[in-house]
Amino acid sequence: MENVRSITAEELHRKMEAGNVFILDVRNEEEYNDWKIEGKKTQSVNIPYFAFLDEMDEEDEILSNLPKDKEIAVVCAKGGASDYVAQMLNEKGYTSSSLKDGMLAWSQYYHPVTVYADEKLKIIQINRLAKGCLSYAVISAGKGMIIDPSKDTDVYIELAQKHQFTIEHVVDSHLHADHITGGPRLAEQVGAPYYLSSEEAKGTNLKFEPLEQYGRIKVGDIDVEVLSIPTPGHTPGSTSFLIDNRFLLSGDTIFVGGLGRPDLGGKAKEWAEDLYHTVFYKLKDLPDDCLVLPGHYSDIREMNDSGVVAERLGKIRENNEIMRNEDKASFTEQVASAVSMEKPPNFEEIVAINRGELKVDANRAIELEIGPNRCAVHHHGIHG
Amino acid sequence: MADVFVDAKGLACPMPIVKAKKALDSLQPGQTMEVHTTEKGSMNDFPAWIKRSNHELIEAKEENGVFKFIIKKG
Repeated sequence: MENVRSITAEELHRKMEAGNVFILDVRNEEEYNDWKIEGKKTQSVNIPYFAFLDEMDEEDEILSNLPKDKEIAVVCAKGGASDYVAQMLNEKGYTSSSLKDGMLAWSQYYHPVTVYADEKLKIIQINRLAKGCLSYAVISAGKGMIIDPSKDTDVYIELAQKHQFTIEHVVDSHLHADHITGGPRLAEQVGAPYYLSSEEAKGTNLKFEPLEQYGRIKVGDIDVEVLSIPTPGHTPGSTSFLIDNRFLLSGDTIFVGGLGRPDLGGKAKEWAEDLYHTVFYKLKDLPDDCLVLPGHYSDIREMNDSGVVAERLGKIRENNEIMRNEDKASFTEQVASAVSMEKPPNFEEIVAINRGELKVDANRAIELEIGPNRCAVHHHGIHG
Repeated sequence: MADVFVDAKGLACPMPIVKAKKALDSLQPGQTMEVHTTEKGSMNDFPAWIKRSNHELIEAKEENGVFKFIIKKG
Protein backbone atom coordinates (compact mmCIF):
# COMPACT_ATOMS: atom_id res chain seq x y z
CA MET A 1 0.00 0.00 0.00
CA GLU A 2 1.45 3.26 -1.12
CA ASN A 3 1.07 5.56 1.84
CA VAL A 4 2.02 3.09 4.53
CA ARG A 5 5.54 3.06 5.85
CA SER A 6 6.68 -0.44 6.59
CA ILE A 7 9.30 -1.05 9.24
CA THR A 8 11.55 -4.04 9.76
CA ALA A 9 11.73 -6.01 12.99
CA GLU A 10 15.12 -4.45 13.67
CA GLU A 11 13.82 -0.89 13.23
CA LEU A 12 10.86 -1.68 15.44
CA HIS A 13 13.14 -3.01 18.15
CA ARG A 14 15.33 0.09 17.98
CA LYS A 15 12.29 2.31 18.41
CA MET A 16 11.09 0.12 21.28
CA GLU A 17 14.42 0.50 23.06
CA ALA A 18 14.27 4.27 22.58
CA GLY A 19 10.77 4.19 24.04
CA ASN A 20 9.17 6.09 21.19
CA VAL A 21 6.78 3.63 19.66
CA PHE A 22 3.36 2.29 20.58
CA ILE A 23 2.34 -1.17 19.36
CA LEU A 24 -1.10 -1.87 17.97
CA ASP A 25 -1.47 -5.61 17.46
CA VAL A 26 -4.37 -6.34 15.10
CA ARG A 27 -4.35 -10.14 15.31
CA ASN A 28 -7.24 -11.74 17.11
CA GLU A 29 -7.38 -11.77 20.87
CA GLU A 30 -6.41 -15.39 21.33
CA GLU A 31 -3.25 -15.03 19.26
CA TYR A 32 -2.28 -11.85 21.09
CA ASN A 33 -2.75 -13.37 24.53
CA ASP A 34 -0.72 -16.40 23.51
CA TRP A 35 2.25 -14.57 22.05
CA LYS A 36 3.04 -10.92 21.53
CA ILE A 37 5.79 -8.35 21.18
CA GLU A 38 6.90 -7.01 24.53
CA GLY A 39 9.39 -4.40 25.59
CA LYS A 40 10.21 -2.74 28.87
CA LYS A 41 9.47 0.69 27.49
CA THR A 42 6.74 -0.30 25.06
CA GLN A 43 3.03 -0.22 25.55
CA SER A 44 0.90 -2.41 23.35
CA VAL A 45 -2.79 -2.79 22.76
CA ASN A 46 -4.75 -5.47 20.93
CA ILE A 47 -7.57 -4.47 18.59
CA PRO A 48 -8.30 -7.08 15.90
CA TYR A 49 -8.17 -5.75 12.34
CA PHE A 50 -11.80 -6.57 11.66
CA ALA A 51 -12.80 -4.04 14.30
CA PHE A 52 -11.48 -1.35 11.94
CA LEU A 53 -13.80 -2.30 9.08
CA ASP A 54 -16.72 -0.27 10.33
CA GLU A 55 -16.87 3.44 9.74
CA MET A 56 -15.33 5.27 12.67
CA ASP A 57 -15.45 8.84 13.76
CA GLU A 58 -13.06 10.83 15.90
CA GLU A 59 -14.86 9.96 19.12
CA ASP A 60 -14.90 6.26 18.43
CA GLU A 61 -13.99 4.20 21.46
CA ILE A 62 -11.49 2.12 19.53
CA LEU A 63 -9.56 5.12 18.30
CA SER A 64 -9.54 6.73 21.72
CA ASN A 65 -7.11 4.02 22.86
CA LEU A 66 -4.48 5.10 20.38
CA PRO A 67 -1.95 7.88 20.94
CA LYS A 68 -1.75 10.81 18.54
CA ASP A 69 1.63 12.00 19.77
CA LYS A 70 3.56 8.77 19.21
CA GLU A 71 4.32 6.53 16.26
CA ILE A 72 1.98 3.55 16.19
CA ALA A 73 3.57 0.36 14.87
CA VAL A 74 0.79 -1.88 13.62
CA VAL A 75 1.52 -5.60 13.88
CA CYS A 76 -0.28 -8.67 12.56
CA ALA A 77 0.61 -12.25 11.66
CA LYS A 78 2.09 -11.71 8.21
CA GLY A 79 1.92 -7.99 7.43
CA GLY A 80 -1.26 -7.78 5.33
CA ALA A 81 -3.80 -6.70 7.92
CA SER A 82 -1.30 -4.32 9.52
CA ASP A 83 -0.77 -2.52 6.18
CA TYR A 84 -4.53 -2.15 5.90
CA VAL A 85 -5.02 -0.78 9.41
CA ALA A 86 -1.96 1.48 9.28
CA GLN A 87 -3.22 3.07 6.08
CA MET A 88 -6.59 3.69 7.66
CA LEU A 89 -5.01 5.25 10.75
CA ASN A 90 -2.78 7.50 8.67
CA GLU A 91 -5.87 8.75 6.84
CA LYS A 92 -7.33 9.64 10.22
CA GLY A 93 -4.32 11.70 11.18
CA TYR A 94 -2.28 9.17 13.17
CA THR A 95 1.38 8.48 12.50
CA SER A 96 1.56 4.78 11.95
CA SER A 97 3.75 2.19 10.32
CA SER A 98 3.32 -1.49 9.60
CA LEU A 99 5.68 -4.25 10.69
CA LYS A 100 6.90 -5.86 7.47
CA ASP A 101 5.97 -9.57 7.38
CA GLY A 102 4.43 -9.28 10.85
CA MET A 103 5.10 -11.77 13.63
CA LEU A 104 6.67 -14.03 11.03
CA ALA A 105 9.55 -11.55 10.76
CA TRP A 106 9.58 -10.80 14.47
CA SER A 107 10.05 -14.50 15.25
CA GLN A 108 13.25 -14.48 13.20
CA TYR A 109 14.78 -11.34 14.62
CA TYR A 110 17.93 -11.68 16.73
CA HIS A 111 19.48 -9.04 18.94
CA PRO A 112 23.08 -9.52 20.11
CA VAL A 113 24.13 -7.87 23.39
CA THR A 114 27.62 -7.95 24.88
CA VAL A 115 27.35 -9.37 28.39
CA TYR A 116 30.99 -9.03 29.33
CA ALA A 117 34.24 -7.97 27.72
CA ASP A 118 37.84 -7.69 28.88
CA GLU A 119 41.07 -8.15 26.93
CA LYS A 120 40.89 -11.94 27.25
CA LEU A 121 37.23 -12.76 27.13
CA LYS A 122 34.08 -11.54 25.50
CA ILE A 123 30.62 -13.05 26.00
CA ILE A 124 27.80 -12.08 23.67
CA GLN A 125 24.20 -13.03 24.32
CA ILE A 126 22.15 -13.37 21.15
CA ASN A 127 18.56 -12.76 22.07
CA ARG A 128 15.78 -14.05 19.86
CA LEU A 129 13.23 -11.72 21.39
CA ALA A 130 10.09 -13.28 19.93
CA LYS A 131 10.82 -16.71 21.34
CA GLY A 132 12.79 -15.81 24.44
CA CYS A 133 15.58 -18.04 23.10
CA LEU A 134 19.13 -17.14 24.02
CA SER A 135 22.28 -18.33 22.34
CA TYR A 136 25.83 -17.31 23.16
CA ALA A 137 29.19 -16.54 21.65
CA VAL A 138 32.16 -17.02 23.99
CA ILE A 139 35.14 -15.32 22.36
CA SER A 140 38.82 -15.30 23.18
CA ALA A 141 41.86 -14.40 21.11
CA GLY A 142 40.05 -14.46 17.82
CA LYS A 143 38.43 -17.84 18.46
CA GLY A 144 34.90 -18.50 19.52
CA MET A 145 32.45 -21.06 20.80
CA ILE A 146 28.77 -20.83 19.89
CA ILE A 147 26.31 -22.27 22.38
CA ASP A 148 22.74 -23.23 21.43
CA PRO A 149 22.66 -21.67 17.96
CA SER A 150 19.27 -21.32 16.28
CA LYS A 151 18.47 -22.59 12.82
CA ASP A 152 19.24 -19.16 11.33
CA THR A 153 22.97 -19.84 11.30
CA ASP A 154 23.86 -16.73 9.26
CA VAL A 155 23.31 -14.76 12.46
CA TYR A 156 26.42 -16.39 14.00
CA ILE A 157 28.50 -16.26 10.87
CA GLU A 158 27.82 -12.52 10.59
CA LEU A 159 28.52 -12.06 14.28
CA ALA A 160 31.86 -13.81 13.88
CA GLN A 161 32.77 -11.49 11.02
CA LYS A 162 31.74 -8.41 12.94
CA HIS A 163 33.62 -9.36 16.09
CA GLN A 164 36.52 -10.87 14.18
CA PHE A 165 36.63 -14.38 15.48
CA THR A 166 36.52 -17.83 13.90
CA ILE A 167 34.03 -20.32 15.23
CA GLU A 168 36.02 -23.24 16.67
CA HIS A 169 33.32 -25.05 18.64
CA VAL A 170 29.56 -25.40 18.29
CA VAL A 171 27.64 -26.78 21.26
CA ASP A 172 24.07 -27.61 22.18
CA SER A 173 23.39 -27.60 25.92
CA HIS A 174 20.63 -30.14 25.32
CA LEU A 175 18.23 -31.41 22.70
CA HIS A 176 15.79 -28.53 22.32
CA ALA A 177 12.03 -28.93 22.27
CA ASP A 178 11.04 -25.35 21.58
CA HIS A 179 13.17 -24.37 18.62
CA ILE A 180 15.08 -25.99 15.80
CA THR A 181 18.78 -26.22 16.48
CA GLY A 182 21.31 -24.74 14.10
CA GLY A 183 24.13 -26.67 15.76
CA PRO A 184 24.94 -29.37 13.19
CA ARG A 185 24.43 -26.98 10.28
CA LEU A 186 26.57 -24.19 11.70
CA ALA A 187 29.32 -26.65 12.60
CA GLU A 188 29.33 -27.93 9.04
CA GLN A 189 29.29 -24.41 7.55
CA VAL A 190 32.31 -23.27 9.52
CA GLY A 191 34.13 -26.61 9.74
CA ALA A 192 33.97 -26.84 13.53
CA PRO A 193 33.07 -29.82 15.73
CA TYR A 194 29.52 -30.05 17.05
CA TYR A 195 29.14 -31.21 20.63
CA LEU A 196 26.13 -32.73 22.35
CA SER A 197 25.72 -34.99 25.35
CA SER A 198 25.37 -38.66 24.30
CA GLU A 199 22.35 -38.97 26.61
CA GLU A 200 20.54 -36.49 24.41
CA ALA A 201 21.39 -38.27 21.19
CA LYS A 202 20.40 -41.78 22.23
CA GLY A 203 18.83 -43.69 19.36
CA THR A 204 19.64 -41.06 16.75
CA ASN A 205 22.13 -40.97 13.90
CA LEU A 206 23.35 -37.48 14.77
CA LYS A 207 27.05 -36.84 14.23
CA PHE A 208 28.51 -35.18 17.28
CA GLU A 209 31.37 -35.05 19.72
CA PRO A 210 30.15 -36.55 23.00
CA LEU A 211 30.12 -33.61 25.38
CA GLU A 212 30.49 -35.77 28.49
CA GLN A 213 33.98 -36.74 27.31
CA TYR A 214 35.17 -33.16 27.40
CA GLY A 215 35.67 -31.85 30.90
CA ARG A 216 37.13 -28.71 29.44
CA ILE A 217 37.01 -27.16 26.02
CA LYS A 218 39.60 -24.56 25.20
CA VAL A 219 38.45 -21.44 23.42
CA GLY A 220 41.21 -19.47 21.75
CA ASP A 221 44.80 -19.73 22.86
CA ILE A 222 44.64 -18.08 26.24
CA ASP A 223 43.45 -19.13 29.60
CA VAL A 224 39.74 -19.15 29.10
CA GLU A 225 38.27 -22.54 29.55
CA VAL A 226 34.78 -23.77 29.40
CA LEU A 227 33.98 -26.45 31.87
CA SER A 228 31.03 -28.61 31.08
CA ILE A 229 29.05 -29.92 34.00
CA PRO A 230 26.30 -32.41 33.26
CA THR A 231 23.22 -30.87 34.85
CA PRO A 232 20.36 -33.24 34.13
CA GLY A 233 16.87 -32.18 35.11
CA HIS A 234 15.32 -30.42 32.18
CA THR A 235 16.41 -33.32 29.98
CA PRO A 236 18.72 -36.21 31.04
CA GLY A 237 21.78 -34.92 29.20
CA SER A 238 21.43 -31.18 29.86
CA THR A 239 24.84 -29.56 30.20
CA SER A 240 25.87 -26.24 31.71
CA PHE A 241 29.07 -24.38 30.94
CA LEU A 242 31.13 -22.63 33.52
CA ILE A 243 33.66 -20.01 32.62
CA ASP A 244 36.24 -18.97 35.15
CA ASN A 245 33.85 -19.71 38.03
CA ARG A 246 32.23 -16.39 37.11
CA PHE A 247 29.76 -17.22 34.36
CA LEU A 248 27.38 -20.17 34.30
CA LEU A 249 25.79 -20.73 30.92
CA SER A 250 22.98 -22.81 32.30
CA GLY A 251 21.03 -23.97 29.24
CA ASP A 252 17.50 -24.74 30.34
CA THR A 253 18.44 -25.92 33.80
CA ILE A 254 18.33 -22.67 35.72
CA PHE A 255 16.58 -19.55 34.56
CA VAL A 256 16.61 -16.04 35.93
CA GLY A 257 13.08 -16.69 37.14
CA GLY A 258 13.37 -20.30 38.25
CA LEU A 259 14.10 -23.84 37.13
CA GLY A 260 13.61 -25.62 33.83
CA ARG A 261 10.61 -27.86 33.47
CA PRO A 262 11.44 -31.56 33.61
CA ASP A 263 8.31 -32.94 32.01
CA LEU A 264 8.81 -32.62 28.29
CA GLY A 265 10.22 -36.11 28.02
CA GLY A 266 7.24 -37.58 29.85
CA LYS A 267 9.25 -38.53 32.92
CA ALA A 268 8.54 -35.59 35.19
CA LYS A 269 9.12 -37.37 38.49
CA GLU A 270 12.36 -39.08 37.55
CA TRP A 271 13.83 -35.98 35.96
CA ALA A 272 12.69 -33.79 38.84
CA GLU A 273 14.94 -35.97 41.04
CA ASP A 274 17.82 -35.33 38.64
CA LEU A 275 17.10 -31.64 38.89
CA TYR A 276 17.27 -31.87 42.66
CA HIS A 277 20.65 -33.50 42.43
CA THR A 278 21.85 -30.84 40.03
CA VAL A 279 20.74 -27.96 42.20
CA PHE A 280 21.90 -29.31 45.56
CA TYR A 281 25.04 -31.21 44.61
CA LYS A 282 26.51 -30.13 41.31
CA LEU A 283 25.84 -26.43 41.49
CA LYS A 284 25.89 -26.08 45.25
CA ASP A 285 29.44 -24.84 45.55
CA LEU A 286 29.20 -22.19 42.87
CA PRO A 287 29.59 -18.73 44.37
CA ASP A 288 26.60 -16.45 44.77
CA ASP A 289 28.17 -13.84 42.52
CA CYS A 290 28.44 -16.27 39.60
CA LEU A 291 26.41 -14.81 36.74
CA VAL A 292 23.79 -17.19 35.38
CA LEU A 293 23.25 -16.87 31.62
CA PRO A 294 20.27 -19.06 30.73
CA GLY A 295 19.11 -20.56 27.45
CA HIS A 296 15.67 -19.00 27.71
CA TYR A 297 13.48 -16.49 29.37
CA SER A 298 9.74 -16.23 29.33
CA ASP A 299 9.08 -12.92 30.99
CA ILE A 300 10.39 -9.54 30.00
CA ARG A 301 11.14 -8.88 33.68
CA GLU A 302 13.97 -11.42 33.47
CA MET A 303 15.85 -8.94 31.32
CA ASN A 304 17.96 -6.36 33.16
CA ASP A 305 18.19 -2.67 32.31
CA SER A 306 21.08 -3.21 29.91
CA GLY A 307 18.93 -5.63 27.92
CA VAL A 308 20.80 -8.71 29.13
CA VAL A 309 18.97 -11.74 30.48
CA ALA A 310 21.21 -12.68 33.39
CA GLU A 311 21.21 -12.82 37.16
CA ARG A 312 23.64 -13.56 39.96
CA LEU A 313 23.23 -17.10 41.25
CA GLY A 314 22.82 -15.77 44.79
CA LYS A 315 19.91 -13.62 43.71
CA ILE A 316 18.23 -16.54 41.96
CA ARG A 317 18.68 -18.66 45.08
CA GLU A 318 17.20 -15.83 47.12
CA ASN A 319 14.21 -15.26 44.83
CA ASN A 320 13.27 -18.88 44.31
CA GLU A 321 12.15 -20.73 47.37
CA ILE A 322 12.49 -23.96 45.40
CA MET A 323 16.26 -23.42 45.09
CA ARG A 324 16.49 -23.55 48.88
CA ASN A 325 14.15 -26.47 49.39
CA GLU A 326 16.65 -29.14 50.38
CA ASP A 327 14.00 -31.68 51.24
CA LYS A 328 14.19 -34.00 48.27
CA ALA A 329 10.67 -35.42 48.46
CA SER A 330 9.02 -32.04 48.69
CA PHE A 331 11.31 -30.55 46.01
CA THR A 332 10.44 -33.33 43.56
CA GLU A 333 6.78 -33.09 44.40
CA GLN A 334 6.75 -29.33 43.90
CA VAL A 335 8.59 -29.44 40.57
CA ALA A 336 6.63 -32.36 39.17
CA SER A 337 3.28 -30.91 40.18
CA ALA A 338 4.00 -27.50 38.74
CA VAL A 339 4.35 -28.80 35.23
CA SER A 340 1.79 -27.55 32.86
CA MET A 341 -0.37 -29.06 30.20
CA GLU A 342 0.85 -26.30 27.93
CA LYS A 343 3.70 -27.58 25.85
CA PRO A 344 5.87 -25.54 23.50
CA PRO A 345 4.04 -25.33 20.16
CA ASN A 346 4.85 -28.23 17.83
CA PHE A 347 7.40 -29.62 20.25
CA GLU A 348 7.13 -33.21 19.07
CA GLU A 349 7.97 -32.28 15.50
CA ILE A 350 10.75 -29.94 16.62
CA VAL A 351 12.32 -32.69 18.73
CA ALA A 352 12.15 -35.07 15.75
CA ILE A 353 13.95 -32.49 13.58
CA ASN A 354 16.59 -31.93 16.23
CA ARG A 355 17.10 -35.68 16.50
CA GLY A 356 17.72 -35.75 12.77
CA GLU A 357 14.67 -37.95 12.18
CA LEU A 358 12.57 -35.43 10.32
CA LYS A 359 13.52 -33.05 7.55
CA VAL A 360 11.39 -30.03 6.71
CA ASP A 361 11.79 -27.18 4.25
CA ALA A 362 12.59 -23.62 5.32
CA ASN A 363 8.97 -22.44 5.27
CA ARG A 364 7.74 -25.30 7.39
CA ALA A 365 10.62 -24.71 9.82
CA ILE A 366 9.54 -21.08 10.21
CA GLU A 367 5.93 -22.12 10.70
CA LEU A 368 6.83 -24.70 13.36
CA GLU A 369 8.75 -22.18 15.40
CA ILE A 370 6.01 -19.56 15.41
CA GLY A 371 4.61 -19.00 18.86
CA PRO A 372 5.70 -18.64 22.45
CA ASN A 373 8.30 -20.53 24.41
CA ARG A 374 7.08 -22.65 27.28
CA CYS A 375 10.20 -24.31 28.61
CA ALA A 376 10.26 -22.83 32.10
CA VAL A 377 8.15 -23.97 35.01
CA HIS A 378 7.96 -20.71 36.87
CA HIS A 379 4.86 -19.54 34.99
CA HIS A 380 2.96 -21.99 37.03
CA GLY A 381 3.76 -21.33 40.58
CA ILE A 382 7.38 -22.24 41.20
CA HIS A 383 8.54 -18.66 40.94
CA GLY A 384 8.36 -17.40 44.40
CA MET B 1 -28.51 -21.72 -0.92
CA ALA B 2 -27.03 -18.59 0.53
CA ASP B 3 -28.27 -15.21 -0.72
CA VAL B 4 -24.79 -14.16 -1.72
CA PHE B 5 -21.63 -16.10 -2.44
CA VAL B 6 -18.17 -14.59 -1.89
CA ASP B 7 -15.22 -16.28 -3.48
CA ALA B 8 -12.17 -15.10 -1.55
CA LYS B 9 -9.94 -18.02 -2.51
CA GLY B 10 -6.35 -17.03 -3.16
CA LEU B 11 -6.71 -13.76 -1.24
CA ALA B 12 -4.42 -13.07 1.70
CA CYS B 13 -5.42 -11.55 5.02
CA PRO B 14 -7.15 -9.09 5.48
CA MET B 15 -8.90 -9.25 2.09
CA PRO B 16 -11.22 -12.24 2.74
CA ILE B 17 -12.89 -10.42 5.62
CA VAL B 18 -12.83 -7.05 3.85
CA LYS B 19 -14.62 -8.62 0.88
CA ALA B 20 -17.04 -10.54 3.07
CA LYS B 21 -17.87 -7.40 5.05
CA LYS B 22 -18.74 -5.50 1.84
CA ALA B 23 -21.00 -8.31 0.65
CA LEU B 24 -22.68 -8.55 4.03
CA ASP B 25 -23.39 -4.81 4.02
CA SER B 26 -25.48 -5.25 0.88
CA LEU B 27 -27.75 -7.85 2.49
CA GLN B 28 -30.96 -7.49 4.49
CA PRO B 29 -31.09 -8.81 8.07
CA GLY B 30 -31.89 -12.54 8.04
CA GLN B 31 -30.25 -13.13 4.65
CA THR B 32 -27.20 -15.37 4.44
CA MET B 33 -23.76 -15.24 2.86
CA GLU B 34 -21.40 -18.08 1.97
CA VAL B 35 -17.67 -17.31 1.87
CA HIS B 36 -14.84 -19.51 0.62
CA THR B 37 -11.23 -18.70 1.48
CA THR B 38 -7.84 -20.36 1.36
CA GLU B 39 -6.23 -18.03 3.91
CA LYS B 40 -5.19 -20.18 6.88
CA GLY B 41 -5.93 -17.41 9.37
CA SER B 42 -9.62 -17.44 8.35
CA MET B 43 -10.54 -20.32 10.63
CA ASN B 44 -9.66 -18.13 13.61
CA ASP B 45 -10.52 -14.73 12.21
CA PHE B 46 -14.02 -15.31 10.81
CA PRO B 47 -15.49 -16.64 14.07
CA ALA B 48 -13.71 -13.86 16.03
CA TRP B 49 -15.05 -11.22 13.65
CA ILE B 50 -18.63 -12.51 13.77
CA LYS B 51 -18.47 -12.76 17.56
CA ARG B 52 -17.88 -9.02 17.74
CA SER B 53 -20.84 -8.30 15.46
CA ASN B 54 -24.57 -8.91 15.66
CA HIS B 55 -24.37 -11.43 12.80
CA GLU B 56 -24.47 -15.16 13.25
CA LEU B 57 -22.00 -17.82 12.13
CA ILE B 58 -24.15 -20.69 10.90
CA GLU B 59 -21.36 -22.94 9.66
CA ALA B 60 -17.57 -23.07 9.53
CA LYS B 61 -15.73 -25.97 7.94
CA GLU B 62 -12.66 -26.95 5.98
CA GLU B 63 -12.84 -28.99 2.81
CA ASN B 64 -9.71 -29.83 0.81
CA GLY B 65 -7.85 -26.74 1.96
CA VAL B 66 -10.83 -24.42 1.39
CA PHE B 67 -12.40 -22.75 4.40
CA LYS B 68 -16.16 -22.37 4.06
CA PHE B 69 -18.35 -20.12 6.15
CA ILE B 70 -22.05 -19.42 6.16
CA ILE B 71 -23.02 -16.21 7.91
CA LYS B 72 -26.48 -14.87 8.64
CA LYS B 73 -26.84 -11.12 8.74
CA GLY B 74 -28.13 -9.80 12.05
